[in-house]
Amino acid sequence: MKIQDIIEGKKEWRAHMARVKALPQDYQIVYKEIQKYLFKVGPVELTEGTELLSGIVDLFEEGVALGKGVLEVTGRDVAAFCDDLIKDSKTYADIYQASVAQEVNQAMKKIAKT
Amino acid sequence: MEVIILENLTEMFKGLLEGCILEIISGGETYGYKITRRLNALGFTDVVDGTVYTILVRLEKNKLVDIEKKPSDMGPPRKFYVLNDAGRRELQQFWEKWAFVSSKINELKETKP
Amino acid sequence: MTFWEKITGNDMTKELQTFESRAQKLPKDYQAAWEKIKADLWPHSDFTGRNLMPILDGVLGLLEETAADGQRVQEVLGDDIKGFCSALVGEEGANAYRDKWREQLNDNIAKKLAK
Repeated sequence: MKIQDIIEGKKEWRAHMARVKALPQDYQIVYKEIQKYLFKVGPVELTEGTELLSGIVDLFEEGVALGKGVLEVTGRDVAAFCDDLIKDSKTYADIYQASVAQEVNQAMKKIAKT
Repeated sequence: MEVIILENLTEMFKGLLEGCILEIISGGETYGYKITRRLNALGFTDVVDGTVYTILVRLEKNKLVDIEKKPSDMGPPRKFYVLNDAGRRELQQFWEKWAFVSSKINELKETKP
Repeated sequence: MTFWEKITGNDMTKELQTFESRAQKLPKDYQAAWEKIKADLWPHSDFTGRNLMPILDGVLGLLEETAADGQRVQEVLGDDIKGFCSALVGEEGANAYRDKWREQLNDNIAKKLAK
């Protein structure tokens, strides 16, 4: 699954964003900044369906229902919240770096042989 | 002054939080916001729902809990968590580790060189 | 040789073409940023173009969502596109840049919530 499929595909994504738009303004602001951050960091879970993101909306909706402020839910350090959320996740950058290391290794072996 | 002490406490407590949440869940089916309230009531007032949520996500990913989504009387459907066998083993290990660490730290404090 | 010809391993061509058609739907300033990002990622494409694909896909997703949301591209990427790109592929120094993303995230929230 690609981010493209998730976003253009559409029904699931549109339903997801509709839930985001139904949140109070403060919650929407924080959600959108979180999404931006996660798109940059690129944990692989991001493309394994909308669960990572929709889980946050679940959390936020319940916070709203309980009458909490958004920062009461996430804590003031929203970046720390995001990092905790993807703590054990591989990112696409990790995968890329691993493949670079592998290519370099192979190239070195070739040189060693000749 | 008190705030600073509590902040330090949170840093120290963070590594133990997963075990504490497993312990709370072992007491019977529960959900995220309720777990936060329990920890807050216990005196860990700086623990927020988001932090608990990140740990619940990890417990789920590591298959230590079983989850059921149920409608709630208030707001959206809630995820309810129960410990499974792997979770119980993990919890037992947590308490063993904790017993070791706390006894050693106390020993350190009490034995004068 | 273009960026695309260089990293194209044939079966990847199609994927790259869809990237381009997606990019063409972006606002002008976003398109300019996309061009810069591609240029910056070029040195990374000598080998392992394939593993660059999900990263490019992610950037485009970021651009598409933020453009749809009416944000300025600068707000999304910052001024240092080079740094942004090396963080994207997890190069040395990426950690420092990721710290910047963290700061940006918290600053943006503080600013916008204060409004």
